[in-house]
Formats: sequence, C-alpha cells, structure tokens
Amino acid sequence: MRIVCVVKFVPDVDNFTYNYETHTIEREHSPMLINPDDARALGFALTMKKREPQTCIEVVTMAPRSVIPQLEDILRLGFDSATLISDQLFAGSDTYVTSKLLSSVIRKIPYDCILSGTHAIDGDTSHVPSQIAQSLDLDHLNFIHHIEEERFTCSSAVVEVEGESSYTTFEIALPALLSLTRESAYRLPYVRYKNLNLDVSERLHILTNEQLGFDPAEVGLSGSRTQVVSTHTKEHMTRRKKVVKSDDEGIEVIYTFLKSNGFI
Amino acid sequence: MKKVLVYVEDGYAQESLSLLEAVRQLYPDQHVETYALLINSDASAIDGVCDVLLTLEDGTLQPFDQKGLCDVFTSVHTRYSFDAILFLATPMGRCIAPSVSMRLETGLVADVTAIANDDGQISLIRPAYSGKIMAGIRIKGEGPVMMSIRIGVFTYQGTDTVQSTNIGLEGLDYRHGNIKVMGTKEKKIPYDIRESDVLISGGAGCSDMESLQDLADLLGGHVSASRAVVDKGIVPRAIQVGQSGKTVSPSLYIALGIHGALQHVEGLKDIPHIISVNTNKDAPICSISDIVVEGDALPFVAKLIRRIKEGQQR
Amino acid sequence: MVKEELIKQLSTILTEEQVNTDKDALYDAAADRYKKYAKARKVLNVPTPIAIVYPKDTEEVRKLLMFCNANRVNVIPRGGKTATEGGLENWKDTTIVIDALHLDEIIKIDTYNSQATVQAGVALQTLEDELQRVGYTTGHSPQSKPVAKYGGLVATRSIGQLSTLYGGIEDMVVGLECVFPDGHVSRIKNVPRRAGGPDIRHIAIGNEGTLCYITEVTVKIFRHYPENNRFLGYLVKDVASGIKVLREVMVNGFRPSVARTYSEEDAAQHFYHFHENKCVLLFMAEGPKGIVDATVTAIEDAVKKYHEGIIKQVDSTLIETWFNQLNWSQQDIDDEFLGMIDHDSHSGFTTEISADWETIPKIYHNVIKRIRKEFPRVQDLTMLGGHSSHSYLNGTNMYFVYNYKILCEPEDELIIYHHPLQRIIVEETLKMGGSMCHHHGIGKYRSEWTKDEHGSAYYMLEKLKEAFDPNGIMNYGTIFPQEEGLKYIE
Ligand SMILES: Cc1cc2nc3c(=O)[nH]c(=O)nc-3n(C[C@H](O)[C@H](O)[C@H](O)COP(=O)(O)OP(=O)(O)OC[C@H]3O[C@@H](n4cnc5c(N)ncnc54)[C@H](O)[C@@H]3O)c2cc1C
Ligand SMILES: Cc1cc2nc3c(=O)[nH]c(=O)nc-3n(C[C@H](O)[C@H](O)[C@H](O)COP(=O)(O)OP(=O)(O)OC[C@H]3O[C@@H](n4cnc5c(N)ncnc54)[C@H](O)[C@@H]3O)c2cc1C
Repeated sequence: MRIVCVVKFVPDVDNFTYNYETHTIEREHSPMLINPDDARALGFALTMKKREPQTCIEVVTMAPRSVIPQLEDILRLGFDSATLISDQLFAGSDTYVTSKLLSSVIRKIPYDCILSGTHAIDGDTSHVPSQIAQSLDLDHLNFIHHIEEERFTCSSAVVEVEGESSYTTFEIALPALLSLTRESAYRLPYVRYKNLNLDVSERLHILTNEQLGFDPAEVGLSGSRTQVVSTHTKEHMTRRKKVVKSDDEGIEVIYTFLKSNGFI
Repeated sequence: MKKVLVYVEDGYAQESLSLLEAVRQLYPDQHVETYALLINSDASAIDGVCDVLLTLEDGTLQPFDQKGLCDVFTSVHTRYSFDAILFLATPMGRCIAPSVSMRLETGLVADVTAIANDDGQISLIRPAYSGKIMAGIRIKGEGPVMMSIRIGVFTYQGTDTVQSTNIGLEGLDYRHGNIKVMGTKEKKIPYDIRESDVLISGGAGCSDMESLQDLADLLGGHVSASRAVVDKGIVPRAIQVGQSGKTVSPSLYIALGIHGALQHVEGLKDIPHIISVNTNKDAPICSISDIVVEGDALPFVAKLIRRIKEGQQR
Repeated sequence: MVKEELIKQLSTILTEEQVNTDKDALYDAAADRYKKYAKARKVLNVPTPIAIVYPKDTEEVRKLLMFCNANRVNVIPRGGKTATEGGLENWKDTTIVIDALHLDEIIKIDTYNSQATVQAGVALQTLEDELQRVGYTTGHSPQSKPVAKYGGLVATRSIGQLSTLYGGIEDMVVGLECVFPDGHVSRIKNVPRRAGGPDIRHIAIGNEGTLCYITEVTVKIFRHYPENNRFLGYLVKDVASGIKVLREVMVNGFRPSVARTYSEEDAAQHFYHFHENKCVLLFMAEGPKGIVDATVTAIEDAVKKYHEGIIKQVDSTLIETWFNQLNWSQQDIDDEFLGMIDHDSHSGFTTEISADWETIPKIYHNVIKRIRKEFPRVQDLTMLGGHSSHSYLNGTNMYFVYNYKILCEPEDELIIYHHPLQRIIVEETLKMGGSMCHHHGIGKYRSEWTKDEHGSAYYMLEKLKEAFDPNGIMNYGTIFPQEEGLKYIE
C-alpha cells in the first residue's frame, strides 16, 4: 500500500513570542514542530507499516528550509521518503495557493490513500485538506479519531469521525483523503538515541519552483486570494484580585461582572 | 445590488440567523438579496427572513459527502452567481466551504469574528494561533467572497419580515461521493472542556459537583474539576483540569473551592477572566483571579443562580 | 536452583499468602521512582524479581535471608517504595523482594523517656498521628512522610523538612534491630549515649539494604507545640544572598525548623502566587514560645544585617499555606504515574548535594553555568534551579531541581536527559569537595561515583560489605559499584 502524508510544520503556539512593536510573531527562538494532528497521521501510517512492511509512506510538506532537521528526524523513524516544497516565491501563500502547490506535487506520486491533519494550530483554518481533496477529486473526511486497522486496505477504510456530541462511523472508498485529529491515539515515536545521527539525506527531496514551474503571479502572495494584513494579540485584562464576601453585596459584584463581560 | 448565499445546515436553522447579521455588516449600505440553501433541512426558522429559499430534498445525499455537496454548491452558484457565500463553522461547514472555494478558485476566510467594508475593500478579523492572536485578512481576487462564522459570534438583530420565495432546486448536476455512514454513538461526556467558553470548576472545597451543572447551563458553559474530586471518583478524569488532566482556555473560569496548586494552574492557559470562591482568600488560586469571593463554594453557587434567574425574570 | 523450585521452597519457609508472584506486582517491584517514566510506559529494561515476600516477624526475616544466602539469591529489602535513586531497582535475574508490609506494629510509645519503638514497616505518618494525639511529634518530616516507612527511612539516612531543628534520621535513632545475611540478629540497645567503641548504629543507618535488613527501630520523640509555629518569608536578590542569611542565623546558634533559600526558577514553581521572579528565603520557627520568639528575633536581625540582599518581606500566611500543602501522598504519586502514561512529561527530577557555606554558592553557580553551556538538550528544559533546605553549623545542602519536555522515547529518557544533568551536578560537587548525596542515598545510579565520594575512606565501606555480605546477596548494585550494572546505566 502506498500512503502520502501531508505534514505542516508549525511554531510552538504555546511558547511563541509576540513583538508588540512590529506586530509580528517571532519564531526564530523556538524550533518548528510537527503540527499535532499531523503527528497522529504520521503515527497511524507508521503503525500500518509495522503491520505491513511493504507499505510505502511518502511525506510531503511545504515549508522553509529550516525544517530540514525535523524532516530528517521523520525519515529516521522509518518513513520511506520526504519531499520538501520550498521556494521564496511561495512565501505568503494563502490556503488556496498552498493547496494548489501541494496538490500539484501529490498528483505525481502514486498513492492509495492520503493522510493529513484536520487543522493546523497556527493558521488554524482547516482549509487545506478539503481543498487538496477537491483539487485531486477525492472523497474526504475530517475529524477522524480512529481508523480500523484490520479494514484499512487499498480499496476502502472504515473510520470513526468525532462530531460535537457523537461519533459517526463511515466506510469510505480509497483512494481518498483522511484527516486525523489530535484526539486520535496514534502516537508518532521519537527517534531512538542510537539513530539520532543516521544519514537520511538520500531520501529527502527538495522541490523549488524551478521543478514545479508555476508562473510567479500564480503563487505566493501574488497568487493568493486572501492576505494577512495585520495581527494583534487579544487584550487581556490585568488581574486586580478584588476580594468580596459571599453576601448580597458580593453576589451583586459577581453578577455585574458577568453581565458587563457578556456572560449573562 | 448584492446577491448572497447562506448555507442553512440541517439542525442549525436558528443558529444560521447569525449569518444574516454577518451579511448586513459585509454590505452595510447596499441592497442585498439573501438566498438560503437548504439541503434536506427544515426551513421554518429562516422563512420570512431570507428572500429566497433554495431547497433540495434528496435522501441519497449523505451529510459529510464533500464531493456531492461541493457539486451542489457549484451548480447553484453557476445558476445564480453570488457575490458572497457564508457558512457556519460547524463540522460540516468546515468541510464543504474549503472545497467549494477551491472549485470556485476563490479565497476563504475561516472563523470570522468581525467584518469591515471600506468602499468595497473587505477586511475580516479572525483568530489564529489557537486563539492567541487575532488576524486581519484582506480579500483579494474576483470573488465570490467566502467565509465561515462560528456559532454565537454574531447576533441577528433584524425584525423585518419578508415574503420568502420558495424554489425547489431541480435538475442540478451533482455526483455522489463514495462514503457510507455505518453508525453513530453518543459521547460519554458530550463536551470537551478544552472547547468550552465558560468553565465552572469544582475542587476539594466543593462537596456536590452536580449542583454546578445549573450554573454552567445558565452561563452557557460546562463543568470541570480539579484533581481532588477526580481522585475521589466523583467525576471522570475527562473533565480534569491541570498537569495530569487537560489544558483549558475558556473566556471565563470559575474556580469553586480549588486551592490552585501549580499542577492545577498549569492547565489554565490564557484565560481572560477568573473568579475564585474560596474559604481561604490567600489560597494561591486567588492570586490569579479577577475577583475572589471569600466564602463557601456551594452556598455561593446557590445564591448566584438565584440572582441570575431573578435578572432573567425582570 | 530454578525459579519454580525457589518459589516452592519460599512457600515452605512462609505461608503461601506471604509469597506474591503476581505479574503486575513483580513488574512494579522491578524499579522505583528513578525509572518512573519508563516504568509508567511499560518499557523497563531490567529483569523482574521472582517473588515478593511478606515476613511477619524477625524470625521469618532471618530464615529468608539465610535461605537466600545459601542459594545466592539477590535480596531487595522494601518499605514504602518511595526510593528515588534506584535503591529498589532490580539488576539480577534471581531476586526476591522482602517487603515490610506485615512488620507494622508500633511496639511502644514511651513519652516519659521520649522514645518510641516501631517495626520497620510502620509508616512515618502512622507514628506521627499516634504521637500528636499525646502531644508529641517524631520531628521527622520528609516530603514522602505519608508513604515512607521506618525501615526505608533509616536505611536511606533520610532527612525531614524540619531537620534544621530536629536533625536527620541519624540524630533520632536511639537503637535498632537488624538481621544479617548469615542469619545473625543484632539488637543495638536504647541508651542516651555511650562510649562503647565506634557507634555501630551507623552500620545499619544508611546501608540501603546492602548490609542488613532492619526489622525494628527506636527513635527519639519530641514535645509538639504547633500553636507556637511562626513563618517568615522574603524575596531576595539571588541564591547567595539567601544563603548568607541562612548562615548568619545558624552560626549565631539558632535552630529554626525550616530554613530555606529558593532560586528564582524553583521559587516560581513553588510560589507562583507571590514570587515576582525573585529568589525566596523562608523560615519556620517552632518549639517552646520563648525559643520561637528568640529565633524569630534572630532571623529578623540576620535579615536586617544583610538587608542589601533582601527585596521585601512576604505575607507569612502565604508561607504557612504553602508549607501545609507540601507533602506527597500516595495519591499524588499515583497521579503522577497516570499522568506519565498520558503525557510526555513528569514532575521532574532532583539531585541533592551538600557542602560548606563557602562552597555551596560556587557549586550552584558552576552547575547552572555548565548545564546551560554543555547540555545538548538545553532547549527542552522547562525548569532548572534549586533550593537550600537543610542547614547545619558548617554548611548546607543544595537540592537541584530540573524538569524538561521529554522529546524522546521513554527508554531513552534517562540517557538523553537525566544522566547528563546528574553527571554535571555530581562532577561539579565532587570537584569542589562537597558530597554528591545529601539525603536520597546513593542508590544504583550514583554508585558510579561512590569511590570518588569516599576517596581513601571507601576502604572502610568496602570492608563492611565483605564482612557482612560476603556472598553479595544484599541489594546488588546499590552503593557498591558493579561493572555488570553499567549496561543498565548506559
Ligand atoms: C494569522 C493567519 C491567518 C490566516 N488566515 C487565513 C485565512 O483566513 N484564509 C486563508 O486562505 N489563509 C489564511 N492564512 C494562511 C494559511 O495559514 C496558510 O496558507 C497555511 O499555509 C495553511 O493553512 P493552515 O495553517 O490554516 O492549515 P490547515 O488547513 O488548518 O491545515 C490542515 C492540514 O493541512 C495540511 N497542511 C496545511 N498546510 C500544509 C503545508 N504547508 N504543507 C503540508 N501540509 C499542510 C496538514 O496536514 C494540516 O494538518 C492565514 C495565516 C495566518 C498566519
Ligand atoms: C515525593 C517524595 C518526596 C521525598 N522527600 C524526601 C525528603 O524530604 N527527605 C528524604 O530524605 N527523602 C525523601 N524522599 C526519598 C524517600 O522517601 C526516602 O528515601 C525514604 O526514606 C524511603 O523510605 P521507604 O519506606 O519508601 O523506602 P523504600 O523506597 O521502600 O526503600 C528505600 C531503600 O531502603 C532500603 N530498605 C527499605 N526497607 C529496608 C529495611 N527494612 N532494611 C534495610 N533496607 C531497607 C531499600 O532496599 C531501598 O534501597 C522522597 C521521595 C518521594 C517519592
């Protein structure tokens, strides 16, 4: 079986620093991480490869070249190959362009199934998987938290999707695109101590626009249909620690507080 | 004149009204003709609110059939040529909107919380970085303008009623995707405290967890707990906040009888409002609270519930 | 003798109920909190013992040890299971664990002579509760108080949080009973003091189960005056400033029960509600009122003398609230365990060292500097700091505390994170003439440095082992370095 995993590298959103002067997010300090949902997808793919060693898994990502060490670590875990789409021309791509670029590369890879995350913790749109599915004319399901391993074959899969108050089981014909959530239990292992320096450079491929051949006007910021023009942090009130008693007066303070902040 | 399509998903008719408020803010000074698309869904809530009700009844079209639904949307758009298409950010809306935008080769903005139209230059505000920042997005390109909106963000204020025209959609060209629903099962805890906007959280000083539910309901929130009550087996671990539980970011956290050991507080991330009720006003949790109520948790809950209900009756 | 045969024979020495061969129990017995993360993730790389046995009296302990000695079966004595340095970890294929579960009798509480006698399996909390009922206290309060038992407490040379007043366990033990591998039972009698040759109590105290099995202990007990307790806390400029004040109080002859200085980072995790990113200095004074008052005055004088290092005083109720929440219950330990199954994290590791007043700040400085410079995963550290929590006339301890995101497989955690950090701490301490093991014992993972710790005095330690445990059946790999054990370290 041939699986393609589309993986995004994201900054650690719990620990990024925000520059209030330039209104930008400073990412240099913390290394990029594999998007949590995507790590689950990779984890599932690896589980399948353990069950069925013939399984071939190719990882595809669009990202700056600074993620190469992290991609190499993915390869050290036993993934067959990785393709990094990276070109200064692609910077600032919105989801429309991102999906177009990713699809153009995936189209050339033979696959029985594409796995992705459901949403990325930085851009946070959940657009890309549906858009890739549309471009490649594939069926697609989001919010998958369980895939039945025994029934995962080249022609179909049975998956459980998490909804707001229930889980729904679907049977879906393959090839299709399956997007996992981080609630799913497939853990991506870490590289073992003894493999930390394994040379994997032969299995890593970098594609620039020279290979992809897009008109520069179609990609990056110029090709995008949306553009981020400003970012700001949410204002957080500084805490005053006002102390009241649990009497009528105190209850009134709480009530007014809840009311003026729109909770009632 | 502008033509706008709103998708009224089955089961979300009432919530879909908020899309019309978004439409009003999108084109504040223009005449807008609103179309609602109803696929196997009940129209009553939207009847008299939208100008045109486009209805499609086809039991073979399954929910979450992204391929099929995307075909339906594109055929409808080809027929009417909309200036904007709006979705609720439900699980299904999140799935269909991106594929439609891709097919129409237009942009899409997710989870919009505010809208500005400056002489035709549309800017939208949305959260990103897991809600930690807000981003201003400018719409470029030919359109249609597409966006998704979370439930409860916009409030419909219109009072005028219109005479809605009902159009049954006939002769649409669409396929069926290769997916089949095999079954559904209810969640044990039907909510995820990481998604809750308001959390009423009980700790060791809160002897009756069940009585928190009423307050949670009144504030549109959910009940969570500190380790102390989880360990006693009173509530399941799924609603535990903290290092060995979950990390939560509601807009409001009410800590009832929670001491606030570091292991608990580590599970509180970026919470704009914290109220704590504690017999010890020097308990660590109090130092990170906006308001500290010095007193017993349960009597406080009872009194606050009474006060909120009074307010509702007035 | 094969395993099955050994187990069969054990059941003739004891009853069948006293021999536990349950698979999960044996897995649990294969390691202690040192390998807590690998243990929680079910990837331990050490053999499991063949049985856990629960003797009911000294005679049964005696028979068990003689049996093991004759058959060369490794023995691990066990109490409350709170060991942190590998003392309970098993490195031999044929091992039995002798658990003090049924040695749980409080034999005598003698308030007139201020002493109490307990069996090895009595939990500290149990005795403490009994004593408080009659207005007394053990004075012993390690953070593991609710769980740790007297055999383990004595065998590890443990120390409590009130040690600056009451001393370590070695200052409390009056006499004891212990059993050697050859079956000899020694009873060390209970007297206030004597000059009867070397103080042989110290052969049993701190032996970590490598020389003998402790079956009974008599400890001093103290009048308890909780109503007089007073707490004082300050934010201070740096670790050295805090230590200066600690020294001043100590060398002037005062004995607060708690006297601590926390680094900024460690303060942040303990006192997030008031630390303001500063170091914290705190005291508790207890005892008779006159002594408490005098101690508080002395602390205030010392603070005044070194005022340039003090930023401000903090509300003493904050210190009191914090102190009352400090102990770890079994529930806390179990919860950390469950947490480790779900999350790639735990609540951190510690390495505790000691040195004289002059040297301690230097060691602290050198360690932190070296870790920041040399540790390959420095970016994964979520916390690195320490506190001084046990002071003496001539010096104090430093409790290094660190935590990190565990970005590796559970099998590799120690080699990637804890070992390199511990190595730096131990090396820097030994280089400056300090002790690498202030109170958790050497266990298995610091045995690599036991010879460096003791230098030429290691001779005396080694001879004890040769004399009392010639067949090397007692807790193989603990304290005394073993070539063969290296495979579990590296
Ligand atoms: C603050 C901010 C707001 C933004 N708002 C919008 C907006 O409203 N509309 C818009 O069109 N764009 C928006 N963008 C741009 C968008 O984030 C990028 O195009 C991004 O590359 C993909 O979108 P996402 O992060 O939302 O991913 P999602 O669609 O949430 O990602 C879901 C899954 O798609 C796959 N995937 C996503 N990106 C990649 C990739 N680069 N390589 C491989 N796989 C990938 C992964 O499997 C991932 O789990 C925004 C960007 C920022 C910084
Ligand atoms: C949360 C926590 C907090 C802690 N705080 C402190 C602290 O403040 N101060 C401190 O000093 N330590 C502390 N420790 C370490 C530990 O609690 C002590 O070392 C304690 O003395 C161990 O007692 P135990 O009964 O749990 O012994 P165990 O863990 O069962 O055994 C410890 C060692 O003693 C040996 N042993 C046990 N019983 C006997 C016996 N009867 N005869 C001979 N050898 C025996 C074992 O073989 C082992 O090597 C802490 C540990 C934890 C987990």
